[in-house]
Amino acid sequence: MRRAFANTLCALAEQDQRLIFLTGDLGFQVFDEFIKRFPSRYINAGIAEAQMVCAAAGLALEGYRPVVYSIASFMTARPFEQIRFCVAYSHLPVVVVGAGGGFTYSVSGVSHHAGDDLALMSLLPGMTVVAPGDPHEAELLLKQLLRIDGPSYLRIGKFGEPTFQAEAPPVLGQARLVCRGDRIAVLTTGDMVTEALRALEELRAENITPWLYQFHTIKPLDTGTLDLLAKQVEAVIIVEDALPAGGLGAAVTTWMSATLSHPRLVRLGPPDEFVLGNPTRDTMFLRYHYGCAAIAETCRRLSAKP
Amino acid sequence: MIASAKQLEERACSIRATCIQMAHDGKEGHLCSALSPVDVLVALFYSFLNIEPKTPKQENRDRFILSKGHGCASLYAIMADQGFFPKEKLSEYNRAGAMLPNHPCLHALPSLEMSSGSLGHGLGVGTGMAYGLQLRNSGARVVVLAGDGECNEGSIWESAAFAAAHRMEKLLFLVDYNGIQAVGRSDEIMGFTSLEDKFRSFGWGATTVDGHDMEAILAALGRFPFKPGSPSAIIAKTRTGVSFMENDVLWHYRKPSVEDLQRSLTELGAQPIHRTTP
Repeated sequence: MRRAFANTLCALAEQDQRLIFLTGDLGFQVFDEFIKRFPSRYINAGIAEAQMVCAAAGLALEGYRPVVYSIASFMTARPFEQIRFCVAYSHLPVVVVGAGGGFTYSVSGVSHHAGDDLALMSLLPGMTVVAPGDPHEAELLLKQLLRIDGPSYLRIGKFGEPTFQAEAPPVLGQARLVCRGDRIAVLTTGDMVTEALRALEELRAENITPWLYQFHTIKPLDTGTLDLLAKQVEAVIIVEDALPAGGLGAAVTTWMSATLSHPRLVRLGPPDEFVLGNPTRDTMFLRYHYGCAAIAETCRRLSAKP
Repeated sequence: MIASAKQLEERACSIRATCIQMAHDGKEGHLCSALSPVDVLVALFYSFLNIEPKTPKQENRDRFILSKGHGCASLYAIMADQGFFPKEKLSEYNRAGAMLPNHPCLHALPSLEMSSGSLGHGLGVGTGMAYGLQLRNSGARVVVLAGDGECNEGSIWESAAFAAAHRMEKLLFLVDYNGIQAVGRSDEIMGFTSLEDKFRSFGWGATTVDGHDMEAILAALGRFPFKPGSPSAIIAKTRTGVSFMENDVLWHYRKPSVEDLQRSLTELGAQPIHRTTP
């Protein structure tokens, strides 16, 4: 996703003179092409996220379209006040990009874990919050984010995530139909969609065919799709690489209780705790029961006739 | 534009009287914070900044940010005096839903450059504006006024480094050094170190002036930029300018009573610029 992000950024900077990129001293060699082609619109603000966000707000006030970039944990929690006060309060069109969102950097320890990135950004009124699942989604959603008139957060993963095919194209604000199903639905966000697709592949042989929707946009929540699903399915499984508070699971739960919808709801994802011991992400999937195997097992359980 | 120091001093006296009236009528504290930068603000608005009050968002205007938002009564008084909005609006200061809240809000008063009230952001936002203006080869200047207490914030120093690195010659940062912050004295909290030295060590041109000596303020502004290719800082040593409010943390909060109001207007020998309803 990071390569797709850097390439898309170059293409967009070519088309739009207002685009300006600020990094918190991250992305070694990733943005070389951008630096070569648009040197004055590349700013390394240094390891100073608060300053980077304030400067982006100032640039946006001057009519530019700033994109700020750092590791997700340093991009969201650390300058939260600057994003809240300087960017969101004024509803400025700044794209905040968190690389390595969720537990992408699980092996680097708690300092680099960003299980709260989606929650923190969703807290802010007027913020659009997006977690693409593959490089293609990252590219198309970034293009759409640069066309909206308010602030946004884009969570991107690392390098080399597999791409996936879906029935519908990625459209900002809309849950993306990946494949049709019958009695249960799996809703994913971020790169958990690829874990879900692997699970569905396994389940096909067992004649278990859930719907799969990719909720790349966490905020605003696509309640239209949820309304339709609530009428169609018996159970909804939400899979997220984020803490339970403030993620997709929490948003869907809030929507369900507000609308008195009744499908059974199961959330798969990391628990409300600091993840110690620097496990790999695959170990996390097993330990906390939210990767491919957990998704498949949960689908089997919910599909079983009572 | 007013050129003579004497006229500016008279203006500052009226603005002080206006602030005290506003604080009294609006039942709002932070009076010290509004009074201490009055002379500096008057010098800026009446003889330095190029902002057209009737069309305040012209592209080539100078940008001004009041980063110490809690001191906004003085900014509002000056803006009203200059015709940014009608003077009668000053009597709505700190009234719910009005255009002049006790911390400036861009949504309420769109002629502002940004909202403030949360400390340590104005300089950073100013550097972003300055960068954008440099990209467009604009001659516009960016002027940010902050408090000395506000310089406790680490973000100020991130911004200071950024501004020097990007050679922001058109950026002017003024510190209203009134020596008093919310619960103590800024020198004690900052370890009795010189802000001027700090900015110099960050690569800025910097100077310290008596923030009530209008000739000295004008002279400093006249020397801007202080150092070729560098941002500039003016540390203005200030007081409230009202004898019984001097050097007292209490007046960071206290709302002036009607007696306080009368006493200070008498001492200043000035009246508010707006008509007040008894």
